[in-house]
Amino acid sequence: MKIKSLLIANRGEIAIRIIKTAREMGIRSFVIKTAKEPNAWYLEEADEIIDFSDNFDEAIPEFLDIERIIKSAKKRKVDAIHPGYGFLAENPDFARRCEEEKITFIGPSHDAIYRMGHKTIAKELARKHGVPLLGGSPGAVRDAEEARKIANQVGYPVILKAAAGGGGRGMRVVSKEKDIDRMFTLATNEAAKAFNNPDVFLERFVREPRHIEFQILADKHGNVVHLGERECSIQRKHQKLLEESPSAALDPALRKKMGEAAINIAKSVSYYSAGTVEFLLDVDNSFSFMEMNTRIQVEHPVTEMVTGIDLIEQMILIAEGEKLPFAQKDIKLNGWAIEWRINAEDVQSGFSPSLGTIEKISWPESDNVRVDTGVRDGSVITPYYDSMIAKLIVHAETREKALQQSSLAIRKFWIKGTKTTLAFCRAVLQNSNFRKGNFNTSFLSKELKLHYHNEPDEALLAAFFATYDYAREINENEEKPLHTENGKSISPWVLKKRLR
Amino acid sequence: MARAAKKKQSTKLIALSATNKAYEFKKPLEKKIKYQGKEVDIKLHEDPKGFSYIVWKNKKYMLDVIEKKQNRYTIVVNGVWHSFSVETPVSLKRKRYLEQQADSSSAVSIEAPMPGKIIDILVEEGAEVKEGEPIIILEAMKMQNEIISHITGIVKSISVKKNESVMKDDVLMEIQKG
Amino acid sequence: MDVKGKNFTRFLERQQAHNVQHDARAEAKQHSKGKLTAWERLDILFDEDTFEEVDAFVTADKSDTGFGKVQQAFGDGVIIGHGLIRGRLTFAYAQDFTVMGGSLGSVHAAKIMKIQDMALKMGAPIVGLIDSGGARIQEGVASLAGYAGIFHRNVQSSGVIPQISVILGPAAGGAVYSPSITDFVFMTDQTSYMFVTGPNVVKEVLNEDVSFNDLGGAGVHSKKSGVAQLVFPDEENTLMGVRQILAYLPSNNMENSPEMELSADETSDVEERLREIVPDDPNKPYDVKDVINLMVDKRSFYEIAENYAQNIVIGFGRLDGKVIGIVANQPKVLAGTLDINSSNKGARFIRFCDAFNIPLLILEDVPGFLPGIDQEHSGIIRHGAKMLYAFADATVPRITVILRKSYGGAYCVMNSKNLGGDFNFAWPTAEIAVMGPEGAVAILYRKELGASDDPIAMKKELAARYRNEIANPYVAEERGFIDEVIDPAETRLKLIRAFEALETKHVDNPARKHGNIPL
Repeated sequence: MKIKSLLIANRGEIAIRIIKTAREMGIRSFVIKTAKEPNAWYLEEADEIIDFSDNFDEAIPEFLDIERIIKSAKKRKVDAIHPGYGFLAENPDFARRCEEEKITFIGPSHDAIYRMGHKTIAKELARKHGVPLLGGSPGAVRDAEEARKIANQVGYPVILKAAAGGGGRGMRVVSKEKDIDRMFTLATNEAAKAFNNPDVFLERFVREPRHIEFQILADKHGNVVHLGERECSIQRKHQKLLEESPSAALDPALRKKMGEAAINIAKSVSYYSAGTVEFLLDVDNSFSFMEMNTRIQVEHPVTEMVTGIDLIEQMILIAEGEKLPFAQKDIKLNGWAIEWRINAEDVQSGFSPSLGTIEKISWPESDNVRVDTGVRDGSVITPYYDSMIAKLIVHAETREKALQQSSLAIRKFWIKGTKTTLAFCRAVLQNSNFRKGNFNTSFLSKELKLHYHNEPDEALLAAFFATYDYAREINENEEKPLHTENGKSISPWVLKKRLR
Repeated sequence: MARAAKKKQSTKLIALSATNKAYEFKKPLEKKIKYQGKEVDIKLHEDPKGFSYIVWKNKKYMLDVIEKKQNRYTIVVNGVWHSFSVETPVSLKRKRYLEQQADSSSAVSIEAPMPGKIIDILVEEGAEVKEGEPIIILEAMKMQNEIISHITGIVKSISVKKNESVMKDDVLMEIQKG
Repeated sequence: MDVKGKNFTRFLERQQAHNVQHDARAEAKQHSKGKLTAWERLDILFDEDTFEEVDAFVTADKSDTGFGKVQQAFGDGVIIGHGLIRGRLTFAYAQDFTVMGGSLGSVHAAKIMKIQDMALKMGAPIVGLIDSGGARIQEGVASLAGYAGIFHRNVQSSGVIPQISVILGPAAGGAVYSPSITDFVFMTDQTSYMFVTGPNVVKEVLNEDVSFNDLGGAGVHSKKSGVAQLVFPDEENTLMGVRQILAYLPSNNMENSPEMELSADETSDVEERLREIVPDDPNKPYDVKDVINLMVDKRSFYEIAENYAQNIVIGFGRLDGKVIGIVANQPKVLAGTLDINSSNKGARFIRFCDAFNIPLLILEDVPGFLPGIDQEHSGIIRHGAKMLYAFADATVPRITVILRKSYGGAYCVMNSKNLGGDFNFAWPTAEIAVMGPEGAVAILYRKELGASDDPIAMKKELAARYRNEIANPYVAEERGFIDEVIDPAETRLKLIRAFEALETKHVDNPARKHGNIPL
């Protein structure tokens, strides 16, 4: 059953990304306009706009308003909804409501979302299907006391993780017993705020693993393939900063083993659509299942670049009921892709958000460089949504070449108006271990001495620029001539007023 | 009426960095700087899109004034920001003098690094804090951020309350060094 | 005359004696405190080589009072004179801290009074550079009389010529009253302070320990007391700031402010970015300075009292090269409400502009007055009335643009049509009502809301309807209280034309000695 119209319940770069594929497939795209970003770029790219901007009530964020979104979709007779990532993408209620209202949900079944969304259920399924796991709490931890008990059993360090969501929120590492109470409170509070669910579970914390995830595509007919791995070990407080595909740590044998484990996870919930299975890879090449993300991910472009497959297109085809047009043996990874996330964050102040207006943004167009962004000249980075400016994806034949191209591309990526993480990207590129492919999740804290890259003369040039601007301003203020009334004739009417 | 001859006002300006490094420029408007003992021309351009850049050693460096308040600047060059205050020779001397005079036991203010809501205040007035200790939980961009004290001392005064919304740079509390 | 003869030699000797007074040691001492000497300050303030000193050789009376010898010095610790600032005649006095601590004796005071008289006679601005230890104790009541004479002339000149005080050192005791009467007070960070009673006396009488800076430094006066409107990090910038502000002011109350040519990069008068700044949601804050900067000539906005009562923004700007005074509510501070401090800040500025023929532009986005026991008990009633009085009494052209909210009494206060506003514009986002929609429907539909089973949703719907049908600016436009609802992008153009039309405005208030503004 062909999809002719698609509502994208998301914003920014992913909305634009989905619109692009929809357009190529001849599907009419609908987007939602909010009062928080009435002039956003994604609104202009879509075919139709559904206006939620009369909603000034912050209690119900527009992109989380399930009923209103479904109502609007029905009213406009939209065939399908794509949730993007974040927001309602992994909300089983939303998927279920779509199914109830006969709107095709571009994603997995609500049951798969629910089961994989609950970390404890997911782990149980993994165990049943023979996928390796880490030790920890069997389910959600009731309170700090129980957390302490299990932690003492499993052995420190441990990590508390939100049961209902990811992305670094509701996560805290506990290295010592005395920190458990404080960390438990922080983690549960954050989880409650972010996912409406304060449940956290506890796991042994592997100190310096690599974070490897596998992209899965499955159709409604039971066919499942993996599209290779993504290396996502460079993280800060569990937020990814850059990703690559493939990973320098995997050889074809390990890839096959992990890929099969990923496929088993997907099959355990009869998964269909796109999904990602996350693993932790230890130094001895042993791996353990972490969780499955039942949605399209931010870093999907790197997989697209090395496999040549349009994942959004596949998601739509799968939703239409099509069979996968390829088998595992057809999947080939060509070359190397790296994605650099460029956020409006102040690296020198601990990555704090740098809100404001992007006055101008420009990058060099090139065959090996792909830029996915929702931001253009004049866009405002607001505190209501994330601080992403753009994803800079570089593809080349080898990792070496990809690194070289990355250097050039980052250098030529110019942004005026906010502080960005570009200097961080440069710092990473300078690091010799990173260049050798020798790193894990401790990279940021251990390897990178300085989180931003500074060339020696840059301070001098900046000092000059400031001084020049100042001197010029003083000059301007002083130079402009003042025209007083001396010598001018003044009308008698005005004089009369002054002589009062 | 005669008096001591007035000194010709020089155009020399000095950019003082946050780390107290002084960069001297004799005639900034002429776009010349002293580099490794020689006078070098600065090629400052504006590209058609409105970006300012300097061509230095055959590479382009993009520069942006991201913050400017009176004579205090924050410049971003190639993604890294640097803060300066632009001083005249006299005002620089004055600044150095005043820094010497500054009371070493004065209170340091802890400011909000970003706008958000105060979720929890972990210390009380009069309490001892150590460098590295968390003192306030600030919620922003849906994350709970711990604000860490960067000095050791005693909490002199707390200017915010639980559940209060704060803006960037708002003073949260003052800590007396020592 | 024989250049080697007695007459000329004696002349040169006296010149030499005067030069010796300004020696390097005294200069070094002043510099070591982080301050400039009086001469250095005058050099920065005035155009190069235009300053002419007056009464350089005046000295204190030789009589010895017995309470400490009266030092004798040429000039008696203050330099007075005239010069050009950006080509315009300006008078100034600079107290010299290196001569007897800049203390004020009767001769010192007489010199200041002399220059004040001159400035008033010539109709030119006067700038006071204050750096003084205070009254000269040895001279007793003569010093005090000196101060009184200065204050008297400050008041005589008030509203006739612009008077600016620049505090570059101590100003204590009675000495602070002169600056507070003048139109603008400038201070330099860390090396200047003002207070009526110093830390020593505070310690003695109240046993409270406080430093000079904490009691009356630049920070205190720019943020807490509102006594200083402009603060700079060092003396050069402070004096350059004085030069800058004078460019916006006329030389006297009979002239208009000087005009300035537009910059080369001044673009068309249509500014589309103005449409994007004010959000449709009436509760979302924004920075009104962004609006101001896009409306006035590029880089021409000179803000005054930036750190005090930040819920109102005042300052000078230029439209098409001509100076205007701007009063704007600041929605991102206290939601833009008016309170005691902001009413005072606004009122004084309005009175200044009215005295000196500077037209007023009012940018309005105010939900009302700040509620609270504190405000009520401290007299928000009479302080709020100040601004209302100031607007109504002003005969300069006054134009209001309602950007967004304008409720209740605050609507009247901010230069409404019936208060004498010459042109009143509104943006499409304007909401003009007796009170905010939520409050209004709570009262009008109290019964219905009480009976409803979902009062919150009902209230929301009613508020939206109220906002749409009653609070919209078109109702006011149809009744003539708003002249025109305009496209924000065209505001600059509309304002330039409107002010041009008002150039010959002439209104006479009823004859009287003076009104009785609530104080």
